Amino acid sequence: MTLAISIKNLTKNFGSKQALRGVDLEIPIGATVGLLGANGSGKTTLIKCSLGLLRPTSGECQLLGESAWSLSASAKARLGYVPQVINLYPWMRVAELIQYTASFYATWNPELTDRLIKEWELPLNDRVRTLSVGQKQRLAILTAVAYQPDLLILDEPAASLDPQARRQFLQLLVELSEPEQRTVLFSTHITSDLERVADYVAIMKEGKIAWFGSLEALKERTHTSLEDAFLEIQQGVKHG
Amino acid sequence: MRLRIEPSSGVPISRQIADQIRSQCVAGALKIGDRVPSVRELARELAVNQNTILHVYERLNAEGWLETRHGSGTFVKSNPVAAGHKNAQTQELLAQLRRAAQQAQLLGISPQELHDMLNESMSMEPETQLIRRTL
Repeated sequence: MTLAISIKNLTKNFGSKQALRGVDLEIPIGATVGLLGANGSGKTTLIKCSLGLLRPTSGECQLLGESAWSLSASAKARLGYVPQVINLYPWMRVAELIQYTASFYATWNPELTDRLIKEWELPLNDRVRTLSVGQKQRLAILTAVAYQPDLLILDEPAASLDPQARRQFLQLLVELSEPEQRTVLFSTHITSDLERVADYVAIMKEGKIAWFGSLEALKERTHTSLEDAFLEIQQGVKHG
Repeated sequence: MRLRIEPSSGVPISRQIADQIRSQCVAGALKIGDRVPSVRELARELAVNQNTILHVYERLNAEGWLETRHGSGTFVKSNPVAAGHKNAQTQELLAQLRRAAQQAQLLGISPQELHDMLNESMSMEPETQLIRRTL
């Protein structure tokens, strides 16, 4: 198996609305992929389908070599996910939530946990419901990365972080993508973040993948900044 | 080594990093023999993909700025711009010496005498030369 994610002709309808209109995407193991797309282009639906959180209308989704809809417990243990809308147990204290999550994973890394708590100044004794949006997001990222998953999927992870926290998060993302067997997929609309940390880029447009390839290849093809390349693809300019 | 990335400048990140390392070598902020951060260290520090840093180091290795010695790290190897500059100055000096040699032949000065004169002028302090000339 050399693919972390393999998606074939995936469609997803919500009633009469077609969110995904035939997505094909193959992400090799070890890649750091930025998923770029305008609001409503289908990024979150694609992520949820590929995680098995939404049932596709048609098509196939394979994750770590297994069907996304019927993942084994061992595959789930190798999977980290930070959703766009963070839902953590609001009545737990931060320390309790971390301890609780850690108890599910044999691969939990206590040193990484301590380091992130310190770097991100997470208030261990506060209840989760009292945290700010940015703090909740940091906590969600921590609980998704601390067990060192082979596949890490993040839906708009930097959206509610302040500039300093975003920078720290990007540094963490670079560090997390170091192991060769680890695959990272993150959605964003911040092209500069993507340009820094990704080596592959997938661009979504109207429920389809409009472009997928290495970041270098995209730039060579378009000879512009990533932002301009993205806008050109959005406007339907043909490349190659 | 302090580098700064302007993410939305339109200049590719790899070029921004390579340009800054080159100019730091030229400006003397990085000296021959200095160790630069490893690919991993710089990637983490700048929050930039490791492959991007790797490509920059490979290019600067090929251009002669850096030398990666496996096991010990990456070092500033040479400064092609400064090296080129020195080369041009050497050529100029050689041309002056040729003119001096022609002059010596015209004056009937033997090669041995010219050597002695050269040795003498090289051992002289600049101030002494200046005094001699004024005298």
